[in-house]
Amino acid sequence: MIRNHRGEVAIAYLFILPFVLTYGVLFLWPTLQMVYLSFTDAPLIGPGEWIGFENYVEMFDDRRFWTSVKNTAYFVALTVIPNTLIGLAIAMMVSRLKGWQQSLILAMFFLPYILPVSVVYRIWNWMFNLQFGIMQYPLTWVFGKPTPVFRTQWMFMPAVAFVTIWWTCGFNILLFLSGLRSISTDIYEAAALDNASRWTIFRRITWPLIWPVTALVLTIQLILQLKIFDQVYLFVQGGRPDPSMVLVQYIYSQAFQKNQGGYAAAIAVALFVIVIVFSVLQFQLLRARGEK
Amino acid sequence: MADIVLNEVSKSFGAVSVLDKVSMHIKSGEFIVFLGPSGCGKSTLLRMIAGLEQVSEGEIFIGDRRVDQLPPNERGVSMVFQNYALYPHMSVRDNMSFGLQNVGTPKDEIARRVDEAARMLEIGQLLDRKPAQLSGGQRQRVAIGRAIVREPVAFLLDEPLSNLDAGLRVRTRVELAQLHHRIGTTMIFVTHDQTEAMTLASRIVVMNNRRIEQIGKPMEIYSRPASRFVAAFVGSPAMNFLPVTGVSDAGGFAAISFAGQGPVTTTVPFTDIPKDKLTFGIRAEAARISREGQGVTGVVDVVERLGERTLVYVSLPDGTPLIAEDEGVSAVEPGQTVHIAIDGGAGIIFDEPGKAYHAAK
Repeated sequence: MIRNHRGEVAIAYLFILPFVLTYGVLFLWPTLQMVYLSFTDAPLIGPGEWIGFENYVEMFDDRRFWTSVKNTAYFVALTVIPNTLIGLAIAMMVSRLKGWQQSLILAMFFLPYILPVSVVYRIWNWMFNLQFGIMQYPLTWVFGKPTPVFRTQWMFMPAVAFVTIWWTCGFNILLFLSGLRSISTDIYEAAALDNASRWTIFRRITWPLIWPVTALVLTIQLILQLKIFDQVYLFVQGGRPDPSMVLVQYIYSQAFQKNQGGYAAAIAVALFVIVIVFSVLQFQLLRARGEK
Repeated sequence: MADIVLNEVSKSFGAVSVLDKVSMHIKSGEFIVFLGPSGCGKSTLLRMIAGLEQVSEGEIFIGDRRVDQLPPNERGVSMVFQNYALYPHMSVRDNMSFGLQNVGTPKDEIARRVDEAARMLEIGQLLDRKPAQLSGGQRQRVAIGRAIVREPVAFLLDEPLSNLDAGLRVRTRVELAQLHHRIGTTMIFVTHDQTEAMTLASRIVVMNNRRIEQIGKPMEIYSRPASRFVAAFVGSPAMNFLPVTGVSDAGGFAAISFAGQGPVTTTVPFTDIPKDKLTFGIRAEAARISREGQGVTGVVDVVERLGERTLVYVSLPDGTPLIAEDEGVSAVEPGQTVHIAIDGGAGIIFDEPGKAYHAAK
């Protein structure tokens, strides 16, 4: 059959044009602009002079930049793997329930996820309130006296990580639950006949079969938590931001508070590279493990 | 080697009863087939023997041990699932070894048993593959292999052939019969396919509507069905059921009339049967086209030539349908009026509830 090949291609281009345009204007062009900006001394608004790698050189010598890298890494370590494991554990418990009980419990675990971050902040700021917060009871029991969690430097990140896990776990539970449901019950019955103990069933059946979901959740979490901003920004209010500064927060403060658009762009490029490298690296690594 | 005894076993899911006081005695080494339509409870019964379903009432014994409260792994049985239930992430070897590893069998013993089973099932070259890389028939063999290596007291097979295509199903059926012959272990096989039941079973358990209809050897089930249900379910084509219009005593035997024809003298004792609302059952091979002009008459609707025999679908004068049989090379054509010689001795009489009356043994 002879077809008008050129005409078909033209129509195909026409169909993808709206997306390509939107993507180009709203993502690609700003990204390229950001990279360009990082080589200038531009303020927040308006053009600047081309200064080559000066911003990057400055960045590598910037103590506060490295603090924010360290803090971001610490936050990632506190959230990504715990959040994933807790999500799996809760999903396994929820999957043992049946019918409306399962729906109810799942809805309860998922509920925090639909809250905006400002509400999450309000809730937990109140929960940890020095005078009235209910969390002060266990804290007093452990430390002997009420503790201002978000004003205590060593407790700040773990507390924000805890709140973040509470907030975002529901989505992971949902992913894991659908993964668990896709494992046929026959396989568990076969394992029961094969003398497998509970632990053996988890280690040799559930864990390997749920691994693709685990890899996905880990990767999504990694990307999400590297971009941490809102929670830290909100909870640090009224305190000293510097010791708990994270990367996006530092970009924000350089650009919008210090009016250094070029320098902020350089840090943003650095974060961009970190996210790409780590997520690709992790995903490849996890996939390789799964195929073993 | 152990007998399996079921003693008034019942099962209900909430208010819904799915099995009602089922009892049987399965002798060691038998090939038992649970046969019945969908929803008759046959799979549930198998799963209760395996321990995958709780028994609501009654007792199950394997050997002299009561097992109905024991978990599946302590019952010493292996199961082959309908969709094989292989562990998708494990190699064939690991699939077969898993159960033995879990009870701490020494490595060399596991390897020996797996290799032996693989040789028996001719899957030796597949041991390093994953289930996804196998065809349906190969997966089936692996599932059987996994059951064999555990050296169980009984194999439980839940419709294991239903996912195979027609040709492979027949071949696997024969191989399963050979396997049973070779290893001699008790097998309990669930199916709704009466051909599988007839060809494989030492004894068939015909089930319907939560209960056992009949337990017997295949030919016993075929020629002396205990009920109208069994008579209708077993055999192809299905048995003819003709409403009886008159019954009389012919030298101690019941002579029956139907569709304004007859009487046909049976070998069923006249005194055995009730005299009202009867049905006469006759298989196609006992209702043969007669060239001598004997027997009942009817008009041919459809002729099915099967090669070695011909099935003739006839309407009797009052419209009652009857399937008769003729030789492979048959001159019968649709529209033709034919005579059918009924072999009364092969006939069965059913009363209204469906109980069967046979010739005295």
